[in-house]
Amino acid sequence: MSTLALLLTQTVNALSQSALLFFLGVGLTLIFGLMRIVNFAHGALYMLGAFVGYSLTHWTGNYWLALAGAPLAVGLFGTAFELTILRRLYRRDAHAFLMVTFGLALVVGEAVRLTWGPDALQVPAPAALAGVVFMLDEPFPVYRLFLVATGIVVAIAIWQFLERARLGLLIRATSQNADMANALGVDVRLIRSCVFGIGCGLAALGGVLAAPLVTASNGMAGTVIIDAFVIVIIGGMGSFLGSLIGALLIGFVQVFGNYYAPDFALAFMYLVMLAVLVMRPGGLLGKEA
Amino acid sequence: MSRIIALILGLILLLAPLGLPPFAMTLLTEAVILGLFAMSLDLMFGYTRLVSFGHAAAYGLGAYSCGWMLLNTDIPLLFAVFAAALLTGMIGLAVGWMCTLATGVSFSMLTLAFAQLLYAISFKWTSVTGGSDGLAGIPRTAGPFGFAALSSKAGFYYLALACLVGGFLVCRGLVRSPFGAVLRGIRENEAKTTALGYNTRLYKIAVVAIAYGLGGLAGALYAPFAGFANTELLFWLLSGQVLIMVIVGGAGTLVGPVLGAAFFMFMEHQLSAWTEAWALYFGLIFIAFVLFAPHGIWGLATGRFRRASERH
Repeated sequence: MSTLALLLTQTVNALSQSALLFFLGVGLTLIFGLMRIVNFAHGALYMLGAFVGYSLTHWTGNYWLALAGAPLAVGLFGTAFELTILRRLYRRDAHAFLMVTFGLALVVGEAVRLTWGPDALQVPAPAALAGVVFMLDEPFPVYRLFLVATGIVVAIAIWQFLERARLGLLIRATSQNADMANALGVDVRLIRSCVFGIGCGLAALGGVLAAPLVTASNGMAGTVIIDAFVIVIIGGMGSFLGSLIGALLIGFVQVFGNYYAPDFALAFMYLVMLAVLVMRPGGLLGKEA
Repeated sequence: MSRIIALILGLILLLAPLGLPPFAMTLLTEAVILGLFAMSLDLMFGYTRLVSFGHAAAYGLGAYSCGWMLLNTDIPLLFAVFAAALLTGMIGLAVGWMCTLATGVSFSMLTLAFAQLLYAISFKWTSVTGGSDGLAGIPRTAGPFGFAALSSKAGFYYLALACLVGGFLVCRGLVRSPFGAVLRGIRENEAKTTALGYNTRLYKIAVVAIAYGLGGLAGALYAPFAGFANTELLFWLLSGQVLIMVIVGGAGTLVGPVLGAAFFMFMEHQLSAWTEAWALYFGLIFIAFVLFAPHGIWGLATGRFRRASERH
């Protein structure tokens, strides 16, 4: 394999990895920006998305239905959780959220194991995306290109939603000053329910998209939650653009690190994070000093 | 009232080896070690509101360094344990310096990053840490000074208990001292404490180092207790669990987190014997605690006694 082809395939690999990480990070950062909640259950919901996607693919025989259905189902679950549990805690200390979402992570993780069993489940990619394309005469899976495309589309969609849509405007207003937004007649409670649901749905979207690549397994929650935290911290908690930059940075660090220095790849990711935080404690685009 | 509870509790713990079967002793010893670990975090979380997401770093550092010393040198158990705690405390000084560059959520994230960095290192530095296998077969080297009793089951229990009680006395002394008053000042309003002329960052670094030292002591006890040290001791899951022990027990009370750790052990053991899905019920219990008992077990207990004594 020529150096150029290697570099190209690794770059596209890194971009597809970044896309998956972005789905996780952007949900986490939206939720944090609006509610100051560090959602520990984000990884578990990502995993739930992958497993729900598996079941939907098998029942309907159609991956595209699963791709739409799993985020919707998990998003509704997130909204229900916000309505029944989180809502009671807004007046309390921030550590109450931490504990409740940690509890949710345990519950969801265990429920998934009981429902789908302990084995990793294969989710086949749809036929249209199953093949390979040739880039500089090297075969490359179409599915990864699809991930990159999806990542770009979703990033643009969220950006436009936040900038142009009325709900997006209300979300930004509530993130900046919830009391003021409330005083101006915005139903802050409703916004919070919506955003928590959207964030959970995005995590599930990441899960169902990752499933054909890495199989749906019980271990996937634990590894991705840390990746998601790292991205959001590097980008700055609550910053949309920050989560995009963080996802790209970590995607490249992971893929290139794994290729060139597999022994140090894991440590390298945390070193990047430490370096960013020591220089800018609030993250690259964070407000906190 | 709480003094009487503490006294009764102390007596029960002191006499426990006389009446308990070996298996229950093992559980109790582990609960004592975890109690010390949770108490060390309470200094940071409960008194200074420094939320660490990476306290497993202290536990793992203590466990690995103690385990390494016992495996590779002739240092007797007692010295290895305290040397490991000292080493962890010194690393805690560096961690504290680095993490207190940030405040709030960023501080928490830095502690997490540091713990995960150690986790990654423990996986890869195979020659020292044993990689994914960890360190196995850690002996309880008795040493020449008549400490042989410490390597027995009951003896080791008393060593752990002595560390817990000693740790408690140190912590209580600290939180009652002027030093502790500054810590509470940081918890309630750091800007105001700074305005009063205190260099809050130095206090925060100090409390992180002390919490690491005590957490490292707990980890150092765990390695010879379990006979192994593995990467799970540095994993973020343990950091989350110990934070929950503190909160469930009652943050900012020192005794509460110890009870929280015991409760955690007890529930894990009881639920896993009763159902395979113990983590499910565990999670539900935690959620119920946050919703209905925000001050934890200690808050429930003392609240009831306070109400009872008010009636008299």
